[in-house]
Amino acid sequence: MTQTRIRVDHVTRVEGHGNIVVNVTDGVVEKCEWQVPEAPRFFESMVRGRHYSEVARITSRICGICSVGHTLASVKATENALGITVSTQSWKLRELLKHAENFDSHVLHINILAAPDLLGAPSVFPLVATHADVVARALRLKRLGHEWGSLIGGRTTHPMSVVPGGMAAVPTAKELQELRAKLVAAVPELEAMLATVAALAPQIPAFDRPTEYVALSNDKDYGLYDGDIQSTLPDGTKERYPVADYRQVTNEFVVPQSTAKYTRHKLDSYAAGALARFNNNYDRLRPEAKQVAEAVGIQPICTNPYMNTVAQAVEIVSDVYESVALIDELVEAGVALEPLVEPARFGTGAGATEVPRGILFHEYAYDADGICQGGDCIIPTNQNHNNIQHDFEKLVPELLAQGKGEQEMALALEMLVRSYDPCISCSTHYLDVGFKRRATESR
Amino acid sequence: MRYLVGVGNVLAGDDGVGPRVLEQAAAGGLEPDVVTVDLATDALSLVAYLDAGTEALLVVDAARLGLAPGDYRIFTPDEVETRKELGGLTTHEGDVMRVVELARAAGYPIPPLAVMGIEPRDTAMGTPLSADLEARLPAYAAAATERLREL
Repeated sequence: MTQTRIRVDHVTRVEGHGNIVVNVTDGVVEKCEWQVPEAPRFFESMVRGRHYSEVARITSRICGICSVGHTLASVKATENALGITVSTQSWKLRELLKHAENFDSHVLHINILAAPDLLGAPSVFPLVATHADVVARALRLKRLGHEWGSLIGGRTTHPMSVVPGGMAAVPTAKELQELRAKLVAAVPELEAMLATVAALAPQIPAFDRPTEYVALSNDKDYGLYDGDIQSTLPDGTKERYPVADYRQVTNEFVVPQSTAKYTRHKLDSYAAGALARFNNNYDRLRPEAKQVAEAVGIQPICTNPYMNTVAQAVEIVSDVYESVALIDELVEAGVALEPLVEPARFGTGAGATEVPRGILFHEYAYDADGICQGGDCIIPTNQNHNNIQHDFEKLVPELLAQGKGEQEMALALEMLVRSYDPCISCSTHYLDVGFKRRATESR
Repeated sequence: MRYLVGVGNVLAGDDGVGPRVLEQAAAGGLEPDVVTVDLATDALSLVAYLDAGTEALLVVDAARLGLAPGDYRIFTPDEVETRKELGGLTTHEGDVMRVVELARAAGYPIPPLAVMGIEPRDTAMGTPLSADLEARLPAYAAAATERLREL
């Protein structure tokens, strides 16, 4: 009897905790699970009884990386519930902030979390010795993302400027032009990073599992900030739905192996994220980004989930050029602090935006005093768990047929999980240190 | 420019003490060249403040130091070694020590830098700052700003 046992508790280089369990006996797969053991955090309960002006401040804390997206989806949902339409300037500044978050998160994922897999390292730390240029460049680009988000959002993590009714603070035209100069100056760095991605792309595992791809989509741009919900099936069939009908798409359900809910729509599962956006919105990708897509070898409809990281690289280029155009439009129109738009009614509203890991939905109900009576937040990583599980179920037999050993299989499955860039939950971040010698001060 | 940096999740009990100390310090008034930076859970963005233009930087964070809850130490990265088991570096596992280590190895100039580690009592999600840490916020803020001045 031959047995294969894979158990990876707490997959590393993903955000939060997830486990991989595979049991195979005599070539028969007895168990093959992507398990999410994180405890629910009950954010939807936390917002009950809160004034509409406080809700996004709370739900922003769902994630330390996608906090811009959570803020935007939350504020958009509140504005829809309150009958608020924001100004063109507010809309564009929010788009600019959305690009900053996407850029910042993708730089982190591609260079710090995914690159070690393709460069044969267990983490980013050994790469400093072997690929110092890659690490230094990643930190420089991460810094740009932080400065970009901080200028528009007040701070990059849990931005303060985005509030129901508009923007509580706006950058000056001079600050925007300085940001533009930094973005343009970063293009050679981006090109160097993309050359690394192109060089490593052939090492990305060959695996295909056609699935449904769900992302926001509109007729104007790539749809990162706003749009209707769009589903693209493997045969190219596309269908759109209003954001208000998001439950018809997400169809959440529970499974024994996961504390996180699963979702499904037309097929057994669907994918959200950069690859889903790329497959849905390629036609509206900027020409500069399309050139990069060609150079790194990705085209729609791409059905290899490992290519999500490559799609992220394409999006980074889109973020920069979209933002340069937005800055030019904002500066030309003149940037000024505007009064916030007041609520026209109090009711129920849904909002959606794309975060680095995919489509994000928030919905709230408010009473006549503007107090939240209930909320619903469906994050993209939860929408991907079911798709990861189905990928596992196709991939494990393929790996067995290829004669892969336990270690190789475990790495392939971990890499697959990491390619989704999952953000399972925010954990605490306290330090845990031991003193080599007495600290300088103690109270 | 000198930076007072807070790291932590304010919805996770005492994990959020860093950003709360910043609020306290700002409410008490800061010297003109001191800027507070709430990095929340994105410790990796500390690299944005590591450059030749930074005169000094003090990070306030919750830290398991083996002290009584609420007690603190101020130390430099060279004085400690991290015991956190990190499989890699993600912002969610963000460890200021590892970020400084990575930045230094990647050639970043490390300005005079110290960490104020405050022993947490409880870091459960959805809980507020413990009462004893809350009561000591003014003392933490005073010690942090004083040390930043001396760096």
